[in-house]
Amino acid sequence: MTSIVTVEHLNKNYGKKEILHNINFNVNKNQIIALIGENGAGKTTLINILLDLISSNSGTVNILDNEKDFKERIGVMMQQNISITRITVKEILKLTQSYYQSPLTYEKIIELADLNDLEDSKMDKLSGGQKRRLSFALAIAGNPDLLFLDEPTAVMDSQSRTKFWQTITDLKKQHKTVFVTSHYLEELETIADRIMILQNKSISFDGSIAQLRELEGESIIEFDSILLPDLFKDIPEIIDFKKVGDHYKFTTKNAELIIGQLTPYLNAINNLKVQQNSLDSLFVNFNKEGATHE
Amino acid sequence: MNSLIYQININFKRIILRNKRFFLFDMMLPIIFYLLYSKVLVNGIPQADLKTWQMNYLISMIIYSCLLGSIITVANTLLEDKTSHFDILSRLTPLPRWQYYLSRILIFMLLNLISAIVICLVGILVNHLTLPIANWSLIILISVLGTTPLIFMGILISLANNPATVNLLNNIVVFPLAIISGLWWPITMMPKWLQSIGKLTPTFQISNIDQAILHGKIINSHYIFGIILWLMIIVVTTLLITKYQKHKELNIE
Repeated sequence: MTSIVTVEHLNKNYGKKEILHNINFNVNKNQIIALIGENGAGKTTLINILLDLISSNSGTVNILDNEKDFKERIGVMMQQNISITRITVKEILKLTQSYYQSPLTYEKIIELADLNDLEDSKMDKLSGGQKRRLSFALAIAGNPDLLFLDEPTAVMDSQSRTKFWQTITDLKKQHKTVFVTSHYLEELETIADRIMILQNKSISFDGSIAQLRELEGESIIEFDSILLPDLFKDIPEIIDFKKVGDHYKFTTKNAELIIGQLTPYLNAINNLKVQQNSLDSLFVNFNKEGATHE
Repeated sequence: MNSLIYQININFKRIILRNKRFFLFDMMLPIIFYLLYSKVLVNGIPQADLKTWQMNYLISMIIYSCLLGSIITVANTLLEDKTSHFDILSRLTPLPRWQYYLSRILIFMLLNLISAIVICLVGILVNHLTLPIANWSLIILISVLGTTPLIFMGILISLANNPATVNLLNNIVVFPLAIISGLWWPITMMPKWLQSIGKLTPTFQISNIDQAILHGKIINSHYIFGIILWLMIIVVTTLLITKYQKHKELNIE
């Protein structure tokens, strides 16, 4: 796989306060990478360093082989919306297109960012969600190979969000690489190839969601049965045991083992359901156990 | 080059064409002043001197308008570019920084040019002032080019990065500068010590070059060098502060 972003031994301090410590990772082509972390974890600082907006104290960053014109090949959707007075959507898009040698066509940008009917609107009159879509349009205007998206769906309505992530999935099919941060983890769960968790100033997890589940995943097993609870109480690896009427609910990190233990009683068990944890709860669990992952 | 033309086009629309503040403040305020002091409040001026007064005050108001445009409009526009994240958007694209600033400086000069032409037209149409077209053109050209140091002063003020500070600095610079350089009232009305300070200001120096053209006198080269010196001092200060801020932003945030 070709690595288009390489970060090695990156450290960043603001004065005496350490923000990022020994960050190392590679980003391969044609991936969607989600960077997650609590508020103030340093996600935006890390992105700003990658974009050369601020410098690191030590370490190296290599984006697209540090080509002189690497800005031709990146697109950035910052956390803050761009809202210039006395300019229309069409004018700012045409202006941004003019910065690049091979931009997307105007019609394509409008279609991908879902800005139909807003072309003649003044930028500062757009709603929060519309401004977000315009920021996305500005990020893709140059037809970039590598997209940085910082909280892209904040303040978007649910319909726009669904459409936005569909567009990102389509862009990946066109061999684009996407580096995204978001607080909407349930959205990242469905699209990200890889998750990086920024915690305690470092990347404490870097892998697929499946790998995170293996590490942190809790499953919930539910069923209805008239059997007595004593039969199940001593099954190993049950973290949480609940019984309401005939309804049982177990929480475990080893669903397979529990199902095995239940097999002899399957005749007396109805409505058996096994539910895996969402990325949201995986992230919460991961953070709870933060220190153990260092 | 394509992007430079686009930028000039967009900046023309947003900074001049659609900007009510420019029409009201940079253009209308000096015109109102001009009409008031050259047409309405002229009782104490002998009829024989009236035309000269109207012409001299026209030059003062052209420079006053350029002063307002160069400092207040420039500082506020560049500050707006930062607060609206237009500045950062440009920094994340392949657009060279020199193009970003050049497109704006050209528009700021155009803004001063439009104001100067309109004020001249008011003088011609209302007070029936007459001059050879070459002299009109030269006065306008000198006023626009001569106020370039003031555009950089506006850029320098915008580096304060805070609306309240920028407004304060605008007021601290513009109005005292207009008064002590004799744009509002003749400099001879002021105490000697204030006159000597006033004569060092770029606005007084441009005004004197324009007056020399108007009255067919030889232009004092000291004033030309004075303006160039102002330009150099302000540009160097702007570059040093920009460099310091960049260093601070990169390392401390």
